[in-house]
Amino acid sequence: MEKNKTSEDSIKILNRRSFIIIIVGAILSFIVSLRLFSLQVINFNFYKKKSVENKLSIKLTPPLRGDIYDSKKNLLAGSSSLYEFVVFKNLSKDHFQEIKKLDSLIKLNLNLGEILKRLKNYNEYSGFSLSRASWKQIVEFEKNKFLFNSIKIIESKKRYYPYKNFSQIIGYMGQPTQSSDLYSKGVFHLEKSYEKHLKGTPGKIFSEVNAKGKTIREISIEKSIKGNDLNLTLDLSLQNYAQSQLPTNKKGSIVVISVSDGSILSMNSNPTFDAQIFEDRENNKIKDLLNDDQKPLFNRAFSGFYPPGSVFKPISALVGLQRNLIDPQKEVFCKGHSSLGDRNYYCWKKKGHGKVNLKKAIKESCDVYFYELAKKTNIDDIASLSSNLGLNKEYDIGLSNIGKGLVPSKKWKKAFLEESWYQGETLITCIGQGYNQTSPLQLATFYSAILNGGKYPIPKLDKKIPTRFTGKLLNNEHQKIIINSLNAVVQEPRGTAHKLSISNPEFVKIGGKTGTSQVVRIKESEREDDQYKSKEIEERFKDHSVFVGYAPYDKPKYIASVIIENGGSGSAVAAPIAHKILDFAFKNNV
Amino acid sequence: MFREFKSIFNLNWIYVFILLIIFWIGEINLYSAAGGSLDPWASNQLIRFLFFLPLFFLVTMLEPKFIFNFAEIFLILVLIGLITTLIFGYTGMGATRWIRIAGFNLQVSEFTKIALVIFMAKYFHKLNAEKTIGLFKSILPLIVSVIFFILVAIQPDLGTAVIILALGLVVIFYAGIKLIYPLISIGIILSISPILWTFLKPYQQNRIQIFLNPDLDPLGRGYHIIQSKIAIGSGGLKGNGFLEGSQSSLDFLPEKETDFVFAIFSEQFGFIGSILLISLFFIMFLIPVLKTFKLTQAFNKIILFVLSFKIFFEFLINISMTIGILPVVGVALPFMSYGGSSLLSNLIICALLLNFMSINEKKRMFS
Repeated sequence: MEKNKTSEDSIKILNRRSFIIIIVGAILSFIVSLRLFSLQVINFNFYKKKSVENKLSIKLTPPLRGDIYDSKKNLLAGSSSLYEFVVFKNLSKDHFQEIKKLDSLIKLNLNLGEILKRLKNYNEYSGFSLSRASWKQIVEFEKNKFLFNSIKIIESKKRYYPYKNFSQIIGYMGQPTQSSDLYSKGVFHLEKSYEKHLKGTPGKIFSEVNAKGKTIREISIEKSIKGNDLNLTLDLSLQNYAQSQLPTNKKGSIVVISVSDGSILSMNSNPTFDAQIFEDRENNKIKDLLNDDQKPLFNRAFSGFYPPGSVFKPISALVGLQRNLIDPQKEVFCKGHSSLGDRNYYCWKKKGHGKVNLKKAIKESCDVYFYELAKKTNIDDIASLSSNLGLNKEYDIGLSNIGKGLVPSKKWKKAFLEESWYQGETLITCIGQGYNQTSPLQLATFYSAILNGGKYPIPKLDKKIPTRFTGKLLNNEHQKIIINSLNAVVQEPRGTAHKLSISNPEFVKIGGKTGTSQVVRIKESEREDDQYKSKEIEERFKDHSVFVGYAPYDKPKYIASVIIENGGSGSAVAAPIAHKILDFAFKNNV
Repeated sequence: MFREFKSIFNLNWIYVFILLIIFWIGEINLYSAAGGSLDPWASNQLIRFLFFLPLFFLVTMLEPKFIFNFAEIFLILVLIGLITTLIFGYTGMGATRWIRIAGFNLQVSEFTKIALVIFMAKYFHKLNAEKTIGLFKSILPLIVSVIFFILVAIQPDLGTAVIILALGLVVIFYAGIKLIYPLISIGIILSISPILWTFLKPYQQNRIQIFLNPDLDPLGRGYHIIQSKIAIGSGGLKGNGFLEGSQSSLDFLPEKETDFVFAIFSEQFGFIGSILLISLFFIMFLIPVLKTFKLTQAFNKIILFVLSFKIFFEFLINISMTIGILPVVGVALPFMSYGGSSLLSNLIICALLLNFMSINEKKRMFS
């Protein structure tokens, strides 16, 4: 080393280079300090927030869903316990082997590939639900519990529907689509429309977690709040009774409403379904239900629209009275048909009714009387009164697929069929055929409008909603004439439904109107005839049997609207059913 | 081989004191990284430190001449060590970086840094340059540096390899290569960097991409940088306080005891603590450097300057990684990261620095 003594120049260079490197080092330190300043001082709040978010976990706990009751506090939809096999990844390394073991031991038919895929990214400390557990499976599991370290049985809640006859009003719940969904939501009818009301508020468990999501300590707990209950205007016993009165082999519907406040007391449709199968995940039954061409999910009471038939006649009569087109006492001669131009329009009674005044025309459902009235009438007057009496109203009462129906008018025809209106169409509209489309619920409110004198209460299902009236007042005299005639239909001899008061004299006395809604215009003359040759006509071409009635006739409290699809004449099929139901409602004071 | 024992009193005790302070901060930090527990890191690191202490003092007492004479031998030893590592090495975390010697896992690449600097110091000392050094005379040390760079890079340990190459270049620069060459080299490197990119392993490319944009992979590779920045940023000006670093204690920060140990420190002691730590390391860097100005032997000057710079350089690289201004390449924080080889090699460096600082050239030590 001695020999290689470093030269003076070399030392100078070394010293100069030192300075350069020291300065570079100082600059780098300064850059690092600036960056630290930016992170820790300027952006401190941002990172502080991130760090709090990092360690704070908010776990939501599902709330209990509100119950649904009938008007007498009978439970129609509630919550019941449910048990599930849940796997916790952190409890055993062999959790997937255990799942396989469980699957083969208790035949759960799990989709193991799918489960493995989803489990991979699942938090170790949150349970992963494998499948529901039946009592039998739970017993089997408990016997072999020692085999499973990572699988537990966890209780949760499902919706419980004790009566299947309400499924078509209450609807059902959807299945959670994502594992992140805390609870399932209502997807049909009241369960859907009252979702916010029923669902409740989830509870929150705030806890400090580590990076793997393991809870270190719980900070605070907010309890979940049960959803609000929903009290319906429906009556459990009436709903069940009415369903039992619907012929099981026929499609049909019955609506019972209260005259005074529009409360819907029962609303049935056949065929029906059981909402419980959705909650019980009975996938085969669900599949069958969705593929059923009888469409059990379709509630005919408010989604089914039919020509009203003769039950429509009070509207025509009222238009005649309002426009002074008819004198209620003046008689028209019914010889069985009426002509307009070169066409004959037939009365259902081939022989004719003879001399007919307004009351007799309604009581015996004479078509010719209304044809003659129709000849003097403007269709738009019929349409306007139909609307006033609620025939194309769509009520927002929380039901899915509630429809509007159709009240034909000149404007409507021009717009939708691009044709002018023919007088002949007014004739058949006036007897409730033609383009008219009404639902059983609308027919019930239409009669409620007549009984209430024009201003009628909007139908409701939610007991809490105050009664509200709609419509236009009718002339008191006109109303009396119509009601008198409707009473006569049942109470007086020769009335189309007089048979009711003879066969069941002990029943409550009712008024009402029969109707036969044409599916195909086969033989007009055969309408309303009890000797209707039903067997000769193929089932699906048979007319719909319609009856709208009220009880008691002198002080109406209940209205029942009945339609039996392809049932035949109104007097033979729908009227006796309506009478029984009105009697049941009256005697049980629903 | 060794100096007289009394020369121990000539050691720069201020430097020893600063070293102890930094090591002690490291111990406190490992204690808090374990959530307020000596186990498993702080106690182990302390045992290692005490175990290495005799060796430390032994190195301070070595005759500088002995080091000078054995410079090439040291380099050949680490070369053998590196080749042995590649063939018989112990593999962990996808890399073959360690060999087992007498029950210890030794990371030879850490010692390569020292041997290379000593070797190059001797080389340039012998050159006895009168003016700046031309390109030709820098070729040999450059080739040696690149060979060691490659040997470490294929382990693969890019972080250590880059440090080795950088130290080689610093020696060449410090020894006085004409300034034009470094400037040309930088130009060339920048222009061929796209080609170099293709030579990187996919995971290395990945790390650099994620360094440029951590949000590419917030739960994967970007996770380290994001979590480290959250921990440091949430420390704020004054820090959360001792043992109050929630991000680290709740395991959000991976590799918190090794490469990301600074985040643990900074979360607890904040910006002020971090600046104090940077200052401590800067002072530690400057003490030997100031001595170089008084020395006239190129060998002594290079050893003192470059080895002192090495500690400070690694410190800067490491914290730059944790605050997201350099890609995560795996460089330990001297005296604070948990790990035996890093601690041992840095202790040896400090011992060498103390040794060379106590040189009194007037006393004709090299006779």
